[in-house]
Amino acid sequence: MASSSGAEGASLDDYDSLIATTDVELLKRAWRNEKAAPEILRFEFHLISRVKEQIQLMEETVEEKSSGGNNPLSVSLYQMDLDRTLFLLRSYLRIRIQKIEKYMFHILKTEELWNRLSKDEKDFARTCTGDLNRHLEETVLSKLPENYQSVLKQSVISEEDDMVPEPELDTFVLCRSKEYLTGIQLEDGPADDRSKLFEMEPGVLHFICYKSIKALVESGKIDLL
Amino acid sequence: MYGRTACQLVKEFASGDEGQLVSFNSDLFQQVVAECSQHHLELQSLIRKIQEEGLDIQTARNADHYGALIHHLALVRNKRCLMAYVYNRAETIRNLVWKIGHVLPQEIEEKLCHAEEEHFRKHSTALKSYMSKVLVDLTVDMVPPKDPYIKVRVLDDIGDGILLSDDKTANFACHSMHLLKRTDAEQFISRGQMEELTG
Repeated sequence: MASSSGAEGASLDDYDSLIATTDVELLKRAWRNEKAAPEILRFEFHLISRVKEQIQLMEETVEEKSSGGNNPLSVSLYQMDLDRTLFLLRSYLRIRIQKIEKYMFHILKTEELWNRLSKDEKDFARTCTGDLNRHLEETVLSKLPENYQSVLKQSVISEEDDMVPEPELDTFVLCRSKEYLTGIQLEDGPADDRSKLFEMEPGVLHFICYKSIKALVESGKIDLL
Repeated sequence: MYGRTACQLVKEFASGDEGQLVSFNSDLFQQVVAECSQHHLELQSLIRKIQEEGLDIQTARNADHYGALIHHLALVRNKRCLMAYVYNRAETIRNLVWKIGHVLPQEIEEKLCHAEEEHFRKHSTALKSYMSKVLVDLTVDMVPPKDPYIKVRVLDDIGDGILLSDDKTANFACHSMHLLKRTDAEQFISRGQMEELTG
């Protein structure tokens, strides 16, 4: 009895881990992280190209089934599955594009962020920045005195770029760790609390400052919700 | 007082509803630009005066220096206000592509200045070119799908012979109701030509 329930548990675990590593599930994770993170994350190049192939396959299946005079219910189930995957893909790409729209100057001049974009996103960011630059120049900057015409600086005497909107990394996010993590340095709170290291149990929800777990999100150890 | 006009300009934008635009206030805008030129003239004349008195511009700390500083700071502040006005309007305008698509209705277009219309067009082109490269249309599917089909009522006479994605055509006469694929219906809904019937 005990052994059979143990085997059942194991097979359930297997099933869970199998489900958790399908590409759609991975895409869902990437999508959730991207949605919750204040800054743009690394583009999941391999995952996205695999998902695109699968969508094409699914489209062919739906086509085949619907022309083959199959049960309309099963066709509509396939269609629904396809629609959901398509939504995830679209939403993922859309969130990234909207982040680029919002912080284009910052992304363009920060090499680390720039390297996270896909080739097409880079093209888009370049065109966009050019367009916005031209727009600002035409409406405002060309009418200002010579020393005040930079998009990135308030005037020529500013030493660094002080007119570039940046994402707010101090915001709080909901997250969950997959494994036991320790030694997380908190970046907020009273100064004497900051020296204490924070630990995370797997599967426990935390509401935490994004800056403190930024590196762990990037390395995939923590998922955002 | 210096900077008051610029502040009005920013307030005008900030007091509007988010995502809504009012007409580009070119009158106020020109006033701020003129104020900037005035500041610059006075700034230059003060600097000239310091130089004529034989003082070093880097180290002189007399009344003229602080006067020049005030003009410089007022100018920088005006620039920030002008930029904030145009930049935030541009952001709202870019978001229109997501909300209502690539063609602006007349009543919104009237509120934009010429450069802003141009910016909208350019941005819409950039977005289209990105979507054609990744082969995914990002402007549909804005909400997670529940059912592949939705019930809609036509609010506007769209006409017949509209080609749907399953190669059938439909007649969308005004007030008629249809069961459509969500991806087909979404473009009409965002333009206000159809409404989704729920429940």
